[in-house]
Amino acid sequence: MKQNLIPEQRVMEEVKKAIAEGIDIDPARIKPESSLMKDLGAESLDFLDINYRLEQTFGIKMARRSVIDHIEELFGEESAIDSEGKLTGKAAEVLAIRYDGSGDQIRPGMDMDELPVMVTVTSIAEGVANLLDTLPGNCVNCRAQNWKLEEETRITCGSCGEPAAFTSGDDLIEDWLKQTQENKKIF
Amino acid sequence: MLEYFPCGRCGACRESLNAFYWKVFLVAGNIFFTDKVALVTGSSRGIGRAVALAFAEAGADVVVNHSKAEGSSKRKAEDVCREIADLGRKALAVPADIASKSSVGEMIEAVLGWRGRLDFLVLNAARAPFKPIEKLLEREIRQLVEINYMGNIFCIQKALPLLEAAGGRIVFISSLGSRFYNPAYPLGSMKAAMEAVVRDCAESLAEKGVYANGVCGGVVKTDSFKTLRQHMEELENIPDELCVSPEALADVVVFLCSPAARGIRGQTVVVDNGLSNRLYRPAWVKKSKS
Repeated sequence: MKQNLIPEQRVMEEVKKAIAEGIDIDPARIKPESSLMKDLGAESLDFLDINYRLEQTFGIKMARRSVIDHIEELFGEESAIDSEGKLTGKAAEVLAIRYDGSGDQIRPGMDMDELPVMVTVTSIAEGVANLLDTLPGNCVNCRAQNWKLEEETRITCGSCGEPAAFTSGDDLIEDWLKQTQENKKIF
Repeated sequence: MLEYFPCGRCGACRESLNAFYWKVFLVAGNIFFTDKVALVTGSSRGIGRAVALAFAEAGADVVVNHSKAEGSSKRKAEDVCREIADLGRKALAVPADIASKSSVGEMIEAVLGWRGRLDFLVLNAARAPFKPIEKLLEREIRQLVEINYMGNIFCIQKALPLLEAAGGRIVFISSLGSRFYNPAYPLGSMKAAMEAVVRDCAESLAEKGVYANGVCGGVVKTDSFKTLRQHMEELENIPDELCVSPEALADVVVFLCSPAARGIRGQTVVVDNGLSNRLYRPAWVKKSKS
């Protein structure tokens, strides 16, 4: 269900904080549209650090694997990246649907190294918001419908104190891909 | 230059005191390391950074290798160089993609141009996906081998003329994944392969006066650990006393490069605070009160 305990603005603030601490840069440099790699100088290990910080902040489980990894796991090797290391037409179609705001940057044949460049502060904040929106209706422990906010970013059960059990990032991507395939029959 | 760092747990235990004595020993006896040059691959952070600083504390000048010409690794490498300069030693940051033979060649040329010598080569750089072997894609397998096996051999091959001229030392940084199963850790297989390379090189290079050894780290709380714990949640349960600091590993690397280690050839020394001794009594299972 869509949660309304943590405002979008708060999510964005925490994402900026995690990025600033993870990459060790001045928070003032971080804009919503900043590309983590191109504009802020992040590298692959930094992404993992940022993800870990966000998991600790919100009690969520960020995706361990990218959408590209999930496509190849579900639809076979080279279904997303061909033997030349280029994005396939079908994967480009999927990514354009998923990131409709930046779909014009995605094109078949683009180098796989260009893909992480497209991760922006906003796309991470949206990812976190999507995970928070998997808040279950009832507490898995006591079945109460009584969510409350602790320490401004952690959603817990107001009845038994159990932390909210959100869907994991990987499960969310996989479910979305299966749904998209069912609707669009891309692969 | 010589500071006493109290232990994070108790503030004054024997362990931190012994570490301090080792630093005193190194500073007092740094004639051996003074003016010598160490190249540490992947030393902008984590274990590599600790090794680079340990060499500087011992008296050596250090080449700090990082992966990308721009970005956070460059910034962090420059920070490490500043820390080395604060210790009164010289440092040079050199970007190089270890997986590329030509890039490694350029790095060694930069070392030659900078100081004209290389005494210690520490093979620390590593990168790998975290997923089970059976799920690795072909490009991931190739990348795994290119960076973590071929890349290290390129470094040995390109650095060999300089190491031979200096009677140098090679130290490879391994991990317990080389000998124990870890879920989603294909890097372990490359570490095992490299431990075999170390053994081979210890014999084949000995006649050139170049000795090779390895240091096998246990659970080290570096940036890579942040990744590993995302795939192995049980890691969080390992008590701090069974985790090993990057500095503890770094001290053993410097020791292996010192004359005191002249009798050690082709060995990979486990530095894990005893974690691997607990194989049959997992460290993360609480001791029963009964």
